[in-house]
Amino acid sequence: MRQRAAFIGISVLIATGCSTLATGPQAIDWSKIPATKVALFYPGQSSYQWLRSEAHAGAAKETARGDSCVSCHDDAKEEQRQGAKILRGNHPLEPHVGALKGKNGHIDMTVQAAYDDKNAYLRFQYKTNNKNHPGNDYPGYQFDGKEWKTYGGMRLNKNVLAGKTGVVYENRLNIMLDDGKVPGFAQQGCWLTCHDGERDMQKEPSKAEVEANALMKAIKKSDVRKYLPATRTNPMDWKTGKSVEEIAQLKASGQFLELMQWRAHRSDKVGGADDGYVLEYRNFDKGANHFASNMDSKTKQPKFMFDPAKFGGKAFAASDYGSKKELILIKGVNAVPFDPNAGWKPGDILPQYVLSAEDAKESAADNKAISSWKDGVQTVVFIRPLGLANADDKALKPGGVYHVGFAIHDDNMTGRGHHVSYTKTLGIGAKADIQAVKLN
Amino acid sequence: MNIRTLIVSATIGSLCLSTPAFAQVDAEEVFKENDCHKCHHPTQAKKGPALAKIAAKYKEKKLDEKEAIKHMTAGQKVKLDDGTQEDHKIIDTKDVKVQTAVAKWMLNR
Repeated sequence: MRQRAAFIGISVLIATGCSTLATGPQAIDWSKIPATKVALFYPGQSSYQWLRSEAHAGAAKETARGDSCVSCHDDAKEEQRQGAKILRGNHPLEPHVGALKGKNGHIDMTVQAAYDDKNAYLRFQYKTNNKNHPGNDYPGYQFDGKEWKTYGGMRLNKNVLAGKTGVVYENRLNIMLDDGKVPGFAQQGCWLTCHDGERDMQKEPSKAEVEANALMKAIKKSDVRKYLPATRTNPMDWKTGKSVEEIAQLKASGQFLELMQWRAHRSDKVGGADDGYVLEYRNFDKGANHFASNMDSKTKQPKFMFDPAKFGGKAFAASDYGSKKELILIKGVNAVPFDPNAGWKPGDILPQYVLSAEDAKESAADNKAISSWKDGVQTVVFIRPLGLANADDKALKPGGVYHVGFAIHDDNMTGRGHHVSYTKTLGIGAKADIQAVKLN
Repeated sequence: MNIRTLIVSATIGSLCLSTPAFAQVDAEEVFKENDCHKCHHPTQAKKGPALAKIAAKYKEKKLDEKEAIKHMTAGQKVKLDDGTQEDHKIIDTKDVKVQTAVAKWMLNR
């Protein structure tokens, strides 16, 4: 554990630059930084399309007109009320409520922000629904005696719902950000990107149907994920994708959303956070992430296994999920090349991803994060360099005000199974809902 | 003190006296649970008129909570600012006691 903590610390220091030590995340006295309360709620399947339908009682016309969500949803307890309603049962936005027993309808989060000459630091704190586990497990590859097959899934996964596999997924904290170039984001935030047809949403198409679609074929995707309305000729229909050239023009004009994600399993232990963007799909920035697939597509076997001397075994079992053991495979820490002749037994599980701070490269490696989880309270600090000039980044600049939406994936959830916030503003030394304070 | 002031005072007094009878109903919570607040703000016009404006209109026309209950249970057409019409949402309770509590709470804004 000590070795891993030292590795994370060194990774973050290297990544953020040694010159920032005096004002970097380790030196910030967060007790002196103003905290903004932000409530997030469970939205179920409230898609762009549903919000514009008569089911969104009395507000379809207003939403289509571009009115802001909070022009109606403006009560102090709005998030609490909406989340509780959707999870109460018999609500059209949550058809799988039976699988969500104990799920909290809303999460109260505090947000703090600071910046120095190099970086912006965004600190988040909230209670996780599971008070006994940090939510850093992730589905693995399980050996069945012949092949390595996926084990585990999030609560709404079809195989999980059918009782065919275990409930396993990592916690995440996401920030979606715009600099004013995406029409409608200031008013409707993350709901611009959430559509029927996406994974676990209404009208989810088959893999074959997606792969037959012209745009999806062009971008080589087999499922539908977050997209902006401007990337479709008919924003109400994911199938009506514009040409790759038209989408490139949107990107060049800044009509995309920044998406930063802290991942309890796939990025945290190497001090990273994803750097991505939403345009025609939920994309990663150019380069390499802090995590990579642990499956060799040619041999159909894992690429890495645990070093028994470091992990206490070469693999783990399904019964280890939810335990205090950290089931995370990290290059240079506890990973060694996979040995197919190591005497694998049915039930052995290896992680689906292998982490590496060193392998993260280019624009995809811009964001760093540090975190802690104690007594059911999750704290995450994002470290975002100022003034990024990459084509897939929104540059944060002193004096700038940005619209942001937050999401928390908690208690074995991904996809739509998150909690989300209404849009807020973030000011880097400028007046906003969340105001980043300049560090001395 | 004129007759009108006396009537208003008596009405307010009777409402205050009647409060204990409805004490177990959280009228504001029922109002918000039914999403009424999304169109009716206490003081500002939203999609629908402000509660203060409704209360003033009821007072002016000498209407009481029975009229308000009719409005929230009949699904009547309502005219919006843009000239279009919509069916007014129907409150999700048939309990007259609860409906009355909500109506009285609204008309006291």
